[in-house]
Amino acid sequence: MKKLFIHIIIIACLFFVMDRVLGLGLGYLYSISNATDEYKISYTNESTEDSLLFMGSSRCLHHYAPLVFEKELGISCFNAADWGIKNIYFHYGTLGNILSRYTPKAIVFEVHPCDFQETPYSGKERAGSLAPYCGMSKECDEMLKRSGNYWPYQLSWVYRYTGNLPNLLAGKMGNMDRNLKGWKPLDGVLDTVGIKVEEYPFPIDQERIDLLERFINDCKQKNIQLSLIVSPMYICSKEDVYKVPRELAAKYDVPFIDHYKDTTFTGHPELFYDFGHLNRQGALIYSKIVCEELKMHIKR
Amino acid sequence: MVVNSLAFLWFFLFVMVVYYLCQTKKEVQNVFLLGCSYWFYSQVDIKMTGLLVILTLVFWLLGKGIYHYMEQEDGRKASWLTTVGVTIGIGALFYFKYLNFFADSVASFASFLGFHMSWTALHLVVPIGLSFFTFKLMSYVLDIHHGKIQPEGNIVSFANYIAFFPTILSGPIDRPKPFLAQANVARLFNPDQLMIGFRRVLWGMFLKMCIADRLDIYVSAIWNNYEHHSAISILFASLLYPLQMYADFGGYSEMAIGVALMLGFKVAENFKRPFFVLDIAGYWSRWHMTLTSWLTDYVFLPLNIKFREWGVYGTITAIMLNMMFIGMWHGANWTFFLFGIYHGLWYIPLMVGGGFFKKRKIKVNAHGWPKQEYVIKMIGIYLVVTFGLMLFHSANISEFWQICERVATHWQGGLFTDMSSMVNAAICLVALIYVDIQEEWFPKYQLPLPRMINRWRWELTVAIEIVAILLFGVFDNNQFIYFQF
Repeated sequence: MKKLFIHIIIIACLFFVMDRVLGLGLGYLYSISNATDEYKISYTNESTEDSLLFMGSSRCLHHYAPLVFEKELGISCFNAADWGIKNIYFHYGTLGNILSRYTPKAIVFEVHPCDFQETPYSGKERAGSLAPYCGMSKECDEMLKRSGNYWPYQLSWVYRYTGNLPNLLAGKMGNMDRNLKGWKPLDGVLDTVGIKVEEYPFPIDQERIDLLERFINDCKQKNIQLSLIVSPMYICSKEDVYKVPRELAAKYDVPFIDHYKDTTFTGHPELFYDFGHLNRQGALIYSKIVCEELKMHIKR
Repeated sequence: MVVNSLAFLWFFLFVMVVYYLCQTKKEVQNVFLLGCSYWFYSQVDIKMTGLLVILTLVFWLLGKGIYHYMEQEDGRKASWLTTVGVTIGIGALFYFKYLNFFADSVASFASFLGFHMSWTALHLVVPIGLSFFTFKLMSYVLDIHHGKIQPEGNIVSFANYIAFFPTILSGPIDRPKPFLAQANVARLFNPDQLMIGFRRVLWGMFLKMCIADRLDIYVSAIWNNYEHHSAISILFASLLYPLQMYADFGGYSEMAIGVALMLGFKVAENFKRPFFVLDIAGYWSRWHMTLTSWLTDYVFLPLNIKFREWGVYGTITAIMLNMMFIGMWHGANWTFFLFGIYHGLWYIPLMVGGGFFKKRKIKVNAHGWPKQEYVIKMIGIYLVVTFGLMLFHSANISEFWQICERVATHWQGGLFTDMSSMVNAAICLVALIYVDIQEEWFPKYQLPLPRMINRWRWELTVAIEIVAILLFGVFDNNQFIYFQF
């Protein structure tokens, strides 16, 4: 029995040392990576101190060109969005981490139905992308707890990067251009054959709405000028998809900028890469339009 | 509850503590183990737990009856009861697994002949592990009838043999004699056995989570959308599939054997580096060994004796029937039937050439490595197995033909790559190949390590394995492929 305990203790010690050392190494590789996910998440959580942040999922990542905003608004700007149908669980955890470091002047948050609906393809597990930042802020930890992996992430630092070793080793070869300040333009033109409207027939998720409200409240408490925004789609639903965020914006007296059915873009395949994402040209035009609108909402 | 889940870990820790607390009283230990096994099975398939209990009771009584008549030298009644047992076993399998398939096939054949016949498919849920525990039940009555064992007097020990939770879902298909002998003595806490078992569980987890589940991401991406992929991608995915199967089922077997060992039971081995062989007979002697040996003992040998007057043709007939059974054991689908036939056909050259009963050994060069011509043969067998598994993996024969057609015609388009999954899997595959080569050809070799580190070799290996699982594993609790059989 004594022998067994000695074995267990030695294994535990060896595991602890290996896990922490390897975890630190992987964390370093994560921070210097130029791959989209790693760069966007690490820069947003660890480095950015820009005045204006764009947050949201892939539509935000591809649609807002920070250089346009910097030039027009005269404030530093970073597009902190990430792809992969990230939702409010991820965004709220990210906001917590950002606020634990500094307070931006303004945040433009691109809302998506997965931020207030029970979308089956995007749930609490999306917060798992914040695993490397477990322990950074109480909001981040809360989201990781909701995703069900907080304690495993605390126990093992290596587990935070599970399956990511090849990406991290090749991270420096990633194609994110750091000069674009987080924007990832898409080059190409939409092929309209077989395009159908994307509907969101999912039930409203009160838990996600609560988080959305907390997101708004936290920004208000820190005097961050928050704007909720919806960017254009090539083809739109006839339903009132964004009723929930519009009502929330009204309730909290936050600007709600709705371009969902903006005819400058909707129905113009030359400005889109696919049915939900503007291409480079579309994004630059759209950024200029939004810039003008933000001038009215953001006090510099 | 999946064996490589956190829920199973808590369950098993609880079982271990209580199990060894009552180690001095084997009856209490056995009752507790049985309770845990039934609880475990009920978590997986609550509706069928009753069936498991009833079948266990029926076969236990049948065993007693068979032995009773054998003692009275009433061979006819003993044979009759054995037939009843085998019929119940096969009947349960047939009803749950094959009834819809056969009725459907008969109806289709009748309409092909111009007769009108319809069959409304029954909504039957196949009990998980049915193919495994019915084989155990049948081998119990057959072994009693053949005089290999005496009936088990203690129903709890017998029920433990059938429902033993580490093996009930996917084997190994243990034989009654060795298991019952162990069930009838108290299993005392043995730290050495515990550590060996733990290592095997870890290795099994590594195989399943780091190799099988990683490869599954790529293989499924191709196979589930083969109509959109090039011939090169389909062939590459097909070449990876035998490795995925090996890591999946071999991994499960390692975990089952390890967990059993931690509870003081040595259960039969199921895999022995199955690709390091020179012919198809060698492959089946190392792949799913407990199924192969079960069918060899209870199907092939009796058939071979029955057909012995036909000489080599009798053996070929016995082999073909045996391989058909192996194929159909996997499920009610013509692809499995053809899979069996396909493997059976590869035995014919061995029979005709007289190599069937010879155990062909791989010759090594002066450095201990297999000679080149043997390596080429091993690659050949791997390709033979790969083609068979393409059939095995297809949903139906029509899908198999469509895949073959696509492979034959769509050579344009490159190889679909998923670098992340492939690199993760490749790193882990190197570890698997290293371990298998070492065990096969260099069993005494140990990586030279400085004396200071060498002292902690065992602990270091365990810690590295845990870190590797955390680093490379897939943690979404994928089901094991063999659970469906």
